[in-house]
Amino acid sequence: MRRVVISGLGSISPHGVGTQPFWNALLEGKSSVTPLTKFDPGAFDSRVGGQIPPFKTADHVPKSYRKATKIMARDIELAVVAADLAIRDAKLISKGLTEATPAETLQAQGWFKFDPTRMGCNIGAGLICVDLDELTAAMDQCRGPSDTLDLAKWGRSDDPSKTSGMENLTPLWLLKYLPNMLACHVSIIHDTQGPSNTITCGQASAGLALAEAARTIQRGHADMALVGGCESKINPMALMRLSLLHRLTTKGNDSPVSSCRPYDKAAEGTVLAEGGAVLVIEEYEHAKKRGATIYAEVVGLGMSASASLSVIEPDETGEAPAMALKKALKSAGITANQVGLVIPPGLGVPRWDKSDAKAINMVFGGTQATITPMRGGVGDCGAGAQALDLVAASLALKEQTIPPTINCTDPIDGLNVNQDRVNKQLDYAVVLATALGGQNSAVVLKKIS
Amino acid sequence: MRKRVVVTGIGWVTPLGHDIETVWKRLIAGDSGIAPTTHFDAKTFPTTFAAEVKKDFDFKTIAGASYEKHKKAGRNTHYGMAAAMNAWKMSGLDKAKLDPYQVGIYLGAGEGGLDFPNFTHVALAAWPENSPPGSTLNIKTWGEIALKTFDPMTEVEQEPYMTISHIANEFNARGPSLNCLTACAASTQAIGEAAEIIRSGDADVMISGGSHTMIHPFGVTGFNRLTALSTLNDNPKGACRPFDAGRGGFVLGEGGGIVILESLEHAQARGATILGEIAGYGSSADAFRVTDQHPEGRGAIVAIREALKDAEMKPQDIQYINAHGTGTKENDSTETYAIKAVFDEIQGGAKAVPISSIKSMMGHLIAAAGAVELITCILAIRDNIIPPTANYSQFDPDCDLDYVPNVARKVKVDTAMSNSFGFGGQNDTLIVKRFVA
Repeated sequence: MRRVVISGLGSISPHGVGTQPFWNALLEGKSSVTPLTKFDPGAFDSRVGGQIPPFKTADHVPKSYRKATKIMARDIELAVVAADLAIRDAKLISKGLTEATPAETLQAQGWFKFDPTRMGCNIGAGLICVDLDELTAAMDQCRGPSDTLDLAKWGRSDDPSKTSGMENLTPLWLLKYLPNMLACHVSIIHDTQGPSNTITCGQASAGLALAEAARTIQRGHADMALVGGCESKINPMALMRLSLLHRLTTKGNDSPVSSCRPYDKAAEGTVLAEGGAVLVIEEYEHAKKRGATIYAEVVGLGMSASASLSVIEPDETGEAPAMALKKALKSAGITANQVGLVIPPGLGVPRWDKSDAKAINMVFGGTQATITPMRGGVGDCGAGAQALDLVAASLALKEQTIPPTINCTDPIDGLNVNQDRVNKQLDYAVVLATALGGQNSAVVLKKIS
Repeated sequence: MRKRVVVTGIGWVTPLGHDIETVWKRLIAGDSGIAPTTHFDAKTFPTTFAAEVKKDFDFKTIAGASYEKHKKAGRNTHYGMAAAMNAWKMSGLDKAKLDPYQVGIYLGAGEGGLDFPNFTHVALAAWPENSPPGSTLNIKTWGEIALKTFDPMTEVEQEPYMTISHIANEFNARGPSLNCLTACAASTQAIGEAAEIIRSGDADVMISGGSHTMIHPFGVTGFNRLTALSTLNDNPKGACRPFDAGRGGFVLGEGGGIVILESLEHAQARGATILGEIAGYGSSADAFRVTDQHPEGRGAIVAIREALKDAEMKPQDIQYINAHGTGTKENDSTETYAIKAVFDEIQGGAKAVPISSIKSMMGHLIAAAGAVELITCILAIRDNIIPPTANYSQFDPDCDLDYVPNVARKVKVDTAMSNSFGFGGQNDTLIVKRFVA
């Protein structure tokens, strides 16, 4: 069987643009949750967020393609930036990079020119929120009685010399919001012509994308792939939706850094966030031959569904996520005792945290596995969440160190959560994700020797 | 040897009806499901018609006792759920003893539409009338009205994972659960990947396919702004003209298509009726432009070739191609080019393979298109008959193959190919064949 390894990391998160600021923040036990500043959240009970510091998407896009950044929603921008970072981290020569630096120059520095037909792209995405300003500005001239939209005017103006409402929108407006545009722009920029997919399973998307792309490589249909997920919930629509579902913290507004408390007894809701990551995965021999830096090997994958209508009610038994974990361990051919680190999916929403904790105790109870919730300093960035966890697990294995946990000083259900940084022999790390819609994915990564 | 994957149930909700046999008869007869838009008042829109699921579709009756827990789901989910209920019943799995963790779901299901009246009202109420260009919404005012106006469940039901969440709940399907949204290629890709999940042993049964509707004001706005839709408002039935010289855009459709996939051993062990076998799947990316297909069908050719390779078949083994055939200038000539690149080597050239597009009759179901088209291939094999490409009247030199114009054709079909090419450049091809033990 062909083995699959992780050979490039690119992350963008509230901790910063790039993998180093992300990893440093984790090691320092830093929270990057702040008061929401991108828009005025005054009407809402939750007013904190995990916002990415300012960056320019154009810095990560070749000049000839910069015009296309105008039709990139925030989620798409995040994927484009993360993919650029991952490609560079893996020292890969892509079409997007050679516009600024000749391939020969990069080759002389040991970079590798990949075969575009053997490179896939599988990036998870969420429901992309509309730009309210753009759309409302277009609707204004079609105002009917009591602030309704007059559809007739939206379709055609009464005055033939004037544009209709819909004509106020750029012709490519729809393309900003198609979830597959994350992968599509990335595949165009870097010329990846292999299998490309867009998995939309909320917080479990990135693990599912990794699993699928890894299988594609195992079967021999590709040698490499860009995988991961990105999402921005820093948008009034997302704040409204999560507020109505009572999933957000309402007591943490005065102390943003401690407001997101996964698995802590004091947790009372999560934090709106944005971010994600793209990873380069690669067939092992292919990576070895080109002298790639290998972070970890992908050795186990498990999937399941909670089958409760979990948006309303989580699966309180924890049975389905536990099954995803068991399947992942089984496919890796290992037992729970061999696992040194488990990154759980908790977001600080009490009933959902409880379900995860049950699952983790069911599988890892009584073992030496360190449980390290990683989202306390970031919040809920949807499809980007598990991608960031995969980056963290890869680095933990590579550096043989586990970052401290923040905001979980009194763990529920006796979870073995580490407060301080842990340095120990780390052979296997497990990343579990449980999505709001009930989809679960578990990934086992192995230290490369 | 790798596991064989077979189809044991099919179900669809389409603009031509919502049970297998009615829709199939209408497709063979060349009927059209395209008519003036009724879901909203589109009379001033550039396109005033669509291929809608008709008013006789009654989810409440189909769902029966399960209706209450799914009633708040969007129309898109109701289409997928109804198709799944029918397919599940046909497969006989409702009476089988199953390991819930070996029953998975992989759909290419679309997002739900915005809550249009509330969305537009809240936005306009928070936007000072006649604001100068460059103005921004008062988010505080917006938020205050929004929290009082929007319904939490109506909002969350728009998430693209909600269709699989409902289906998982309905059938207690606790195995691998995935949804992909690769635009018009989504459900073809979902079925291909679902088959791979069965081959890997991660599930014995996969509920696969897709559902979608974009027939809502902002959906039609989006496609009208892209000038992708036909605007032949005087002649809705004749508006979708795949491969015809007079083609001028696609017609937006809606609906759902579900196939029940099973490993052959699982299906045989329970004595299931096998409707067909998934023989091959190919997937690629154009990596060209978000607005256009690669002019020489680069990605499409790879998807077709990969599917043949996966099926261990040669081009001459394919007896019917169900085309993506949207009826846009670009797709149909590019697809023709791609088919020729692969099939010209066979005796008689690519012209020897009959090709048809059912989008001429039921419009483009976007994410759900590939699923209903695969079901069409399965029925073509069952009955040895190919549904026609309707509205074909004028030869286009860029589309010079056999498109089974206007009249269904009785011909031996043991193997069929279905192509789906997504907006943005994701391409997928499936091959299905008659099941021989």
